[in-house]
Amino acid sequence: MKEIMGLTKLFINESWGFSKFLYNRTNNKKAFYKQLVPMIIVPIALIPAFFMYVSFNIALYAGLRMINQTSVFLSVGYILTIALIIIFGIMVILSEFYFSKNIEELIPLPILPRNIIIAKFLSILVFEYVFTAVIFVPSLIIYGVGEGMGVVYAFLSLLMFITVPILPLALLTVLIMIIMQSASVKGRQDMLRIIFAFLGIALIMSVQIWFGNQMGNADNVDSQMLMNNLLVNNESLLNTIGYFVPTSLLLAWTLNQITLMSLAWAASSVVITIIAFALMVLVGKRVYIKSIVRGKTIKKGKRLSQIETQKALGKKSHGVMAIFSMDLRLLLRTPIYFFNNVSVVIIVPACLLISLSFIKLTPEDFNSIQNFYTEMPILVNFMLIAFFIFFGATTATTATTFSREGKASWLTRMIPVSSKDQIIGRTGTAVIIESLGIAFTLIGVFFYLPLTLLSLVLTVALGILGSLPILLFGLFMDMNRPLLDWNNPQKAVKNNMNVVITLFVGMAYIGLLLAVSGLLGYFINPWLGYGLFSVISGIMIFIFYKIIDKRLAVKLLNFE
Amino acid sequence: MLKLEQVSKTYGNKSEKAVDNISFQVYPGEIFGFVGPNGAGKTTTIKMIVSLLAPNSGKIIINGIDNQENILEAKKQFSYVPDNPELFEKIKGIEYLKFMADVYEVPITERQQLIEKYLAVFEIKEAVNDPIGSYSHGMKQKLALVGALIHDPQLFVLDEPMVGLDPKASFELKKIMREHCDRGRSVFFSTHVLDVAEKICDRIAIIKKGKIIEVGTMVEIREKAGSQESLENIFLELTE
Ligand SMILES: Nc1ncnc2c1ncn2[C@@H]1O[C@H](COP(=O)(O)OP(=O)(O)O)[C@@H](O)[C@H]1O
Ligand SMILES: [Mg+2]
Repeated sequence: MKEIMGLTKLFINESWGFSKFLYNRTNNKKAFYKQLVPMIIVPIALIPAFFMYVSFNIALYAGLRMINQTSVFLSVGYILTIALIIIFGIMVILSEFYFSKNIEELIPLPILPRNIIIAKFLSILVFEYVFTAVIFVPSLIIYGVGEGMGVVYAFLSLLMFITVPILPLALLTVLIMIIMQSASVKGRQDMLRIIFAFLGIALIMSVQIWFGNQMGNADNVDSQMLMNNLLVNNESLLNTIGYFVPTSLLLAWTLNQITLMSLAWAASSVVITIIAFALMVLVGKRVYIKSIVRGKTIKKGKRLSQIETQKALGKKSHGVMAIFSMDLRLLLRTPIYFFNNVSVVIIVPACLLISLSFIKLTPEDFNSIQNFYTEMPILVNFMLIAFFIFFGATTATTATTFSREGKASWLTRMIPVSSKDQIIGRTGTAVIIESLGIAFTLIGVFFYLPLTLLSLVLTVALGILGSLPILLFGLFMDMNRPLLDWNNPQKAVKNNMNVVITLFVGMAYIGLLLAVSGLLGYFINPWLGYGLFSVISGIMIFIFYKIIDKRLAVKLLNFE
Repeated sequence: MLKLEQVSKTYGNKSEKAVDNISFQVYPGEIFGFVGPNGAGKTTTIKMIVSLLAPNSGKIIINGIDNQENILEAKKQFSYVPDNPELFEKIKGIEYLKFMADVYEVPITERQQLIEKYLAVFEIKEAVNDPIGSYSHGMKQKLALVGALIHDPQLFVLDEPMVGLDPKASFELKKIMREHCDRGRSVFFSTHVLDVAEKICDRIAIIKKGKIIEVGTMVEIREKAGSQESLENIFLELTE
């Protein structure tokens, strides 16, 4: 037990860098405050969002109460919680179990493999509890107060709170371990394995949803009957949800009404959770530890003949190109980076297209879309521009550009490359990825709405122009506070406050700019709108470029 | 070639200085050894020379260029191999070398010739198309050496170069260092292996707890110590 606690602390410390933080408190005050300030500001910035979430929950409860359906209230909160745990859990589990290098150092030590697995799991779980407290506890409290529940409810809620994150996380870990194992055929590359893992999980989820759909459909073919059912029987909606996520029923049966049976259901929740946990440990010992011990093989390239070597070296590239291609290669070849910074531009348009394809549009609908566009092209154009800039900002590629290089960043800092080349090369990577997203989106849009050439040119040009200030701001952030001291690339992009800050500031800025220039364009003259947008963007680009250009060389001296 | 004037460095707000007011000069055509025990401040000094760290005070002049005033020009004067070369794991050796040749603007034929030559000298030709992640520590060091040698720098800066190299590579490196200086250029390297310093350096500086305690040729330092002892003994006495 002591060993597990020690290891858990070690893992948490490693993934969040607490030791460095405490060391800096006494030895490097400047670095300490740089870390501390966002730790305070970001949660404060999130408080309004949390209030909105809670008020939404209260409204939902009141609404459900009116139609006599409060029995689903807890299930909705529960499903939201585990959905988020699963979505964010995939990356965290992969990172803690598969990308972190500490496992190779720990295995030779006389530590029970079981303890390593449990400790890794716990180190993830701790943060899932924080998450659950924020997302799910409000639901528990609102329901408890609304229904006038007593001490037993409070006690059982606590018990449920403790079990809620364990089950999905444990099952997800099992799933990932098995998928990673079956994908790790000799010589297979990192990237393929991860893609495989994602596909596997996506497949299982869709099968689950499809099943739920089928069963749900069979139950209530007639929507009239469904409505009747809803009004008469306040459990039918609950049961429908239960088909999708069976465990939500356990929770509902435990907490919706406090009876003697609640205790039995609570006990069975606990038992199921324990079984899932035990399964995770078992699979971990059998599958995970083995796959680590077997070691991972890095695929080697083929031998180069003298002529091939000469050819590989036979082209001279400009400093910009050298920086750009190095940055892009790292981004594409490191799985974590790829999924953080590149996959968004593929997944988001794809999801959009798929969900649009579910909506059956009649020819009249197409016509009205077309009419809307011909009457008010400026609105459609600005919507597209906003969407394109979304790619620039959300991937936050420049906000981690130095951080991603980690301990190898000495190289790009030491070489004689001008600030200008550094800025253009690194921003170029982000623009290329953004352009990819723009291209995918435009292909999707074309199915519904053939754009005019003018629109096409305007949206692409202004989309890229408008995102450049955010990209440069990201670069500015990373230049001032790079995160280089990691041995798990996950940290460079996931635990990096620069991303959060860039996202917040970038979104606020672009929202404001789009609103102002959109209104101007809509009410006065479209070209005034586009013009204002371009001029402000141009000015911002100029300012940030100048600032970075002036400071970068000196900043690079002070990275450590 | 290289001149340090009263250079000091403190990390964060620690109380003791990592490098404390050091001054010395490396002349053209000279192999200069920077000798001192672990934690003496060798790596810190070297990082300040190669623009990876800003000194708190003092000046560093490389080939006549102040490396804080004209950072970019100063960077063109040297090449550097760190004690533990962390390189991009996902990049292939050949891609790394092409990158180095590009940023130092080495002409095509020259880069082809030099890379071919040094890959053969350090015997890593076979691995050059593999990702650096698959290299051993020594191979990474050799790749970093090749990358540093292709632009034929005025000043060649190495941090603990002999640690981790096999005897053959170590021998070849010493030969390359000597040839480099014979062409009027300079080599500056740190070491705690005294034999190396004694055998190949024209002059040495001894650093201890951030302070330079001796600078000079072997003969000069011996005279000061007043004995025919080996550097080893002098070193032990001085750094006691
Ligand atoms: N990044 C750092 N932060 C704080 N202190 C450091 C850092 N790097 C080195 N030091 C300290 O500076 C001193 C000199 O270290 P270093 O230059 O690495 O010595 P050497 O290379 O001679 O072994 C040591 O006391 C070391 O603890
Ligand atoms: Mg050192």
